[in-house]
Amino acid sequence: MTNATTVTRYGAVAQTLHWIVAALIVTQFVLAWTADDLPLGMHKLILLARHKSVGMTVLMLAVLRLGWRLGHPPPPLPAGMAPLEQRLAHATHAAFYVLLFAMPLTGWLMSSAKNYSVSWFGLFTWPNLIGRDETAFAWLRGTHTTLSWALLAIAVLHMLAALKHHFWNKDSVLKRMLPFTTTE
Amino acid sequence: MLTPARVCARGVAAVRACPRRLHRLRASILALVSALALGAGASATAAPGAYVADAARSRLQFTGVQAGAEFKAVFHKFTAVVDFAPEALATAHFDVTIDLNSVDSGDKDRDGTMRGPDIFDVAHFPTAHYVTRGFTKSATGYTAQGTLTLRGVSKDVNVECQFTPGPSGATLTGTAALKRLDFGVGQGDWKNTEWIGDLVKIDFSLALSPRH
Repeated sequence: MTNATTVTRYGAVAQTLHWIVAALIVTQFVLAWTADDLPLGMHKLILLARHKSVGMTVLMLAVLRLGWRLGHPPPPLPAGMAPLEQRLAHATHAAFYVLLFAMPLTGWLMSSAKNYSVSWFGLFTWPNLIGRDETAFAWLRGTHTTLSWALLAIAVLHMLAALKHHFWNKDSVLKRMLPFTTTE
Repeated sequence: MLTPARVCARGVAAVRACPRRLHRLRASILALVSALALGAGASATAAPGAYVADAARSRLQFTGVQAGAEFKAVFHKFTAVVDFAPEALATAHFDVTIDLNSVDSGDKDRDGTMRGPDIFDVAHFPTAHYVTRGFTKSATGYTAQGTLTLRGVSKDVNVECQFTPGPSGATLTGTAALKRLDFGVGQGDWKNTEWIGDLVKIDFSLALSPRH
């Protein structure tokens, strides 16, 4: 593992960001789905507070990732991938980046519209983006939920594609994002 | 001597004598009744330093901390009877009654929870009451020593306030701080102070009109 993205592998920074964000997104689904089933109360409040703190972390890491990626282009896709496959791969990654911003931003807007300021693990409070607005809240909530299903769908597609590349095509697409491995 | 009977007789005679007087008598009875209904004579002059807050032009709010972030809530309905003159602190007095049901934090879910049995329990304790015992001059204005009764618990709470006389009344601003759990505001899960801060800050700006 080296700091810079080499021709055939993702660099250490890109890998670290990828796996941290992946773990945080799994955490987000667990927190949100658990909170959804709870009645209004302290337990729900705690889970949603953590969901918001983790979400704002994802947003900050998304900024970092996008900045890093602009300066460190990812390794090229393996030769021999069909143009349609390549387009699909690029579209999936582009959608991930859009959602990495859209999910936390719609969540932040939701909290603002509901007049609940977002704290980051109790350390500081993010400013409200918009004023109290029940109609906007309802719309944002629907959007946040719809986008979460889209995120889940492309995450499944992403994982299946990685496994297909690894076991079917037997190329380096999965391994080049795995730490502690080497690629030819 | 005017005995009631003679007054009555004269009144009856007067009424019989002249319809215009009847009209005037009716008018004065009406005025007397209206004055009584208002609780004070409309023409009486206001006692100096006697005020009542105009809730529509006033603000009474508190700031709490929820999950690490501050939130503000106002009470739309309250009555504040204020006797205050800077030169007569010994007779100064605040008597404030707050309708806890009028709490508004900008979110109806949170307001509903606050009205519920674990927080304000408005079904059993619909109002909070603050009444002063005495005042001292402070660096920034005045310190009111008083008692707050909230959720059936009475505790001493000091209020730091500033009094500004105006052309047709006065403005009273101030701040206070209290620990919500001292009053049992937060039962069960809501006793948790890691997620719901114990310290609650209060601030107000009251538009005072002369009280007649």
